[in-house]
Amino acid sequence: MQLVLFNVTNGLIIGAFYVLMALGLSLILNLSNVINFAHGNFLALGGYLAYTLTPTLGYWGALLVAPLLTALIGLAVERLMIRRVYNRDPVYSLLLTFGFAFVMQDIARYVWGPNGLPLGLPDFLSQPISAELFFVTWYRVFMVFVVIVVVLGLFAFLRYTRVGVRIRAGTLDLETVASLGVNISFLRTFNFALGCFLAGLSGVLAAGQIGLNPNMGDDLLMPSFIAIIVGGVGSLIGTLFGGLLIGMAAALTTVFYPSASEAVIYAIMMLVLLFRPRGFMGEEGMMS
Amino acid sequence: MTAALTAEGLHTYYGKSHILHGVSLEVAEGKITALLGRNGAGKTTTLRSLMGLTPAREGKITIFGEDTTRWPTFRVAAAGVGYVPEGRRIFANLSVEENLMVPLERGGPWTVERIYQLFPRLAERKQNRGRQLSGGEQEMLSIGRALLLNPKLLILDEPSQGLAPLIVREVFRIVQQMKAEGISVLLVEQNARMSLEIADNAYVLDDGIVVYSGPARELAADEARVRALAGASAEEWT
Repeated sequence: MQLVLFNVTNGLIIGAFYVLMALGLSLILNLSNVINFAHGNFLALGGYLAYTLTPTLGYWGALLVAPLLTALIGLAVERLMIRRVYNRDPVYSLLLTFGFAFVMQDIARYVWGPNGLPLGLPDFLSQPISAELFFVTWYRVFMVFVVIVVVLGLFAFLRYTRVGVRIRAGTLDLETVASLGVNISFLRTFNFALGCFLAGLSGVLAAGQIGLNPNMGDDLLMPSFIAIIVGGVGSLIGTLFGGLLIGMAAALTTVFYPSASEAVIYAIMMLVLLFRPRGFMGEEGMMS
Repeated sequence: MTAALTAEGLHTYYGKSHILHGVSLEVAEGKITALLGRNGAGKTTTLRSLMGLTPAREGKITIFGEDTTRWPTFRVAAAGVGYVPEGRRIFANLSVEENLMVPLERGGPWTVERIYQLFPRLAERKQNRGRQLSGGEQEMLSIGRALLLNPKLLILDEPSQGLAPLIVREVFRIVQQMKAEGISVLLVEQNARMSLEIADNAYVLDDGIVVYSGPARELAADEARVRALAGASAEEWT
């Protein structure tokens, strides 16, 4: 029973990471048709920045500032590179970000070294929540809490603010958004930075759990794509659902048949592609 | 009389096909200018060129005295040009309220409250998604959305398309009201007869060339020409 419970909490946490990563990827894909292969490296960047900032800002300061810096760097990357390929076939942006992913990874290796690094956490977060649930640390509870708050915040932003509504409108028909006087160049830049913020935040959170290494984002990238496909491209609610579903599926498979835990998420994707190609919520479209 | 918009010798292409062959036209300030022509004459392409959506390869566009030829669409719109596109293009997944949150806030007499006053039907359907609206309601939303930009020039692409006769009359009434508010209007229509009733000036486009330009009244008096222009589709409504 404890084993099952352990893996359920694990699934929830992995799913939460997939959700944060996938929501960022999804935002960028929906508005700009860019499949950001460097997204996992923005995650690593967030984690490393937190590592560097913790001695001066402390953990809480780093948790806030590192994702913001990641967003700022994302903003620069979009302005200098990504926007140049918006009007071309999506293959261009895919290859561009694919190449940039390796560059970012080597930069991380050069700056912070090839070996794993730990991210220090406040003491109380490392304690288990009780003797029976010794495998559930406060940090795990905290991570899930942060993800819930951020996801609710993101959805509220997209629903109730003008910029958020414009992002959703642009997902459906960017040309018409432009013809209503909205600076879509700025909108896309902001949206890309927002996606990078989410990646950076997942990086800080992940670093506290698994530590830092230059390719820490790689293992999260593919499942995040799968979360988007399973949930349905164009639907953020779908992405949220897809992330949790595959996180849980992978964790529960670990209980019964550990070696299949990775295959299961790909199998889910294959089933979705074969029997419901739009994904679970792709038909409804974003936010519905 | 000053011009809100002047286009000189526009040549526009879709890929390799040459659609506009040197279109020139002028929208006088505070007047309604009708742009008429058969299907495929290049009316929508002309409007798309003016908005920078399908930029002209040659020619010059001046809007309120500024050369906007190379401007991106959002800049043209932000200069005070409201655009009601063909097919209305409302955001289907967004509610009426959210659709009205999209336009740039340029400041001016038009507010969301005033749009709801102008179109009480939209106020009743605030929470409904765009796709749940009728064609008439969608048209109102598309016009309302463009008005929120507080435009000095309003460009409408076939606002009566696919609407019931009663709603068509309503749409034309609103276009006249916009003129009364001091907004210059460029109106593309299939419905030649009704357009000429409210327009001050008219242009007729055929195969990407301007074949008539002059006072709307003069064109309206030429019964044979109007009949040819109106074609079957518009004739049904009049």
